[in-house]
Amino acid sequence: MMATRGPLQLTLALFKPDITRVPHVVQAIRNRIIQEDFFVVRHKEVRLSRQDTEQFYEEHRGKFFYNRLVTFIGPSQALILAHEDAIKHWRALMGPTKVYKTKYEAPDTIRGMYGLTDTRNSTHGSDAEETAAREMKFFFPEFCQEDWYRVEEDRFRKGQVRLDEVKFMHNLF
Amino acid sequence: MMSFTTKSLPASSILISREFEYVGARSQPDTLIYTWGVADHGALGRASFVRPDHKNRQQHLSYVHHPHRLGFGEYHKIVDLSCGYGFTLFAVGKPSEVSCYGTGLNTDSQIGNHEPRRGYPLGMLISPAPIEAPLDKSSKVSSGRAHTVMLTDKGGVWTVGNNAYGQCGRSILPDEDYGRKAAYHRIKALDDITICHIECGQDTSFFLSDKGVVYSCGWGADGQTGRGHYDNEPDVEKGEVFGWGNSEYHQLNSATDDMQIHVAKKLNFPGVKKVLDVASAGTMCLLLDEDGHVYSWGFGPIGKGPDVTYSKIPTQLPLTLFGRNEITPDAKVVSITCGINHLAAVNSNGSLFTWGKNPGGCLGLGHTKDQYFPLRVSIGGQVIKVSCGVDHTAAMVKEIL
Repeated sequence: MMATRGPLQLTLALFKPDITRVPHVVQAIRNRIIQEDFFVVRHKEVRLSRQDTEQFYEEHRGKFFYNRLVTFIGPSQALILAHEDAIKHWRALMGPTKVYKTKYEAPDTIRGMYGLTDTRNSTHGSDAEETAAREMKFFFPEFCQEDWYRVEEDRFRKGQVRLDEVKFMHNLF
Repeated sequence: MMSFTTKSLPASSILISREFEYVGARSQPDTLIYTWGVADHGALGRASFVRPDHKNRQQHLSYVHHPHRLGFGEYHKIVDLSCGYGFTLFAVGKPSEVSCYGTGLNTDSQIGNHEPRRGYPLGMLISPAPIEAPLDKSSKVSSGRAHTVMLTDKGGVWTVGNNAYGQCGRSILPDEDYGRKAAYHRIKALDDITICHIECGQDTSFFLSDKGVVYSCGWGADGQTGRGHYDNEPDVEKGEVFGWGNSEYHQLNSATDDMQIHVAKKLNFPGVKKVLDVASAGTMCLLLDEDGHVYSWGFGPIGKGPDVTYSKIPTQLPLTLFGRNEITPDAKVVSITCGINHLAAVNSNGSLFTWGKNPGGCLGLGHTKDQYFPLRVSIGGQVIKVSCGVDHTAAMVKEIL
């Protein structure tokens, strides 16, 4: 069983349309998430539309790659992950954004292994607490961070959870 | 005596050195199919890799790092093949009733409708299954990330699979579920044009007409298509190279300093002779000149030694690496091709050479380490055509025995 853990942080992870269509890659990434002792607090399948991506990538408007970000749409999976220092940890596990370079510079990261191109880079992760909060609100409007920290965080930390393999989500028991 | 021997030999065997010769003038070698690389998605076409029968001592295999002969190729006359992301397509000639087969991922119906149980379409096919498109006979197939393009011998072009960016040449329906129903589409805009070649990018499709005009459709976010569906690209003259799309890794440095361009620009390569063939991977580019020399540039393991390098201008790879030696001094490269991160070349003796990134052993070299210069693949025959996917490769091979 897991050792006692420090305070948990929440982050939003997104499986992008390029990998959600490849079952063995989804499974491999899920295994990595569990191996790295992340908790999956919420998980849902979403279908990104053009309006969604425009809103989601608002901060990149005006950059030359903005167009390819917002046109990369389709079936995706959104997850809320919990871990000590989850934001940094998840971004380290994903590896740098630029897949073509990551393949050589950090080949063992998720993007290094399963990313296709710089745009089809397999996964997304929040880069700071504010963006994490905003992005969680975006995909899980029904999820309340304050409530979670008040009610569930302590029990997750003590490891009073069980993984539902089918739904790929940790539930309290 | 010496002069007699020389006379009796056919002229070709003196002029062109060969590694071997067929016995008898009438031998008709068969075409074999070899596949290798990641096996998890079923694209290698052998069911037992994915679903082994343990009673018969079959083992699950996640990948095969050497060329594996596919039985399907023995029972069908295969005329063309193509590798997409996790799936492989075969164009099959007569006497088969179905002209197109596919194996591997089918999450976007890129291999057609396969619904043994109503309401539960198969997202993955572990051995070749027919694509039941209403077409006569396909002569060429090409596959992108999740879509299929078929060229029939009468000239019509059919598409099926993911159309989220219009890569199938039809209008984009916002909530279409590509996996639920296969939508076979004949591209009517190309009906009056004789298309002689088709080629797919990841989410783009290109069609070359007999007049030398390139048509395109699909995702244009990096300018890959020249913007918009069916926008004609400028005429392409033989032997000249035009480039468009992303240039973050210096792929198009000879024409532009911008990160991306959405119109085709002529690329000038000083000192390079007439260009016969080009291939562009994710960040690497290759060209083949009329003397059979291969040039490479861009970013990645472009074949220049043990480092991952940037090269803004094309530089030649030594022909020795492609099988030119004392025994075969005439060997030259005749075709080049590539996946996203790996590259391949075939020489005039039918030898296959691969290099680049090696996920799942898709280079076929017997290991899964990256390869930084071209190395010959051990394969039992003369390679006619090779196609590279993302993490697997397939080849049509003329048998030796």
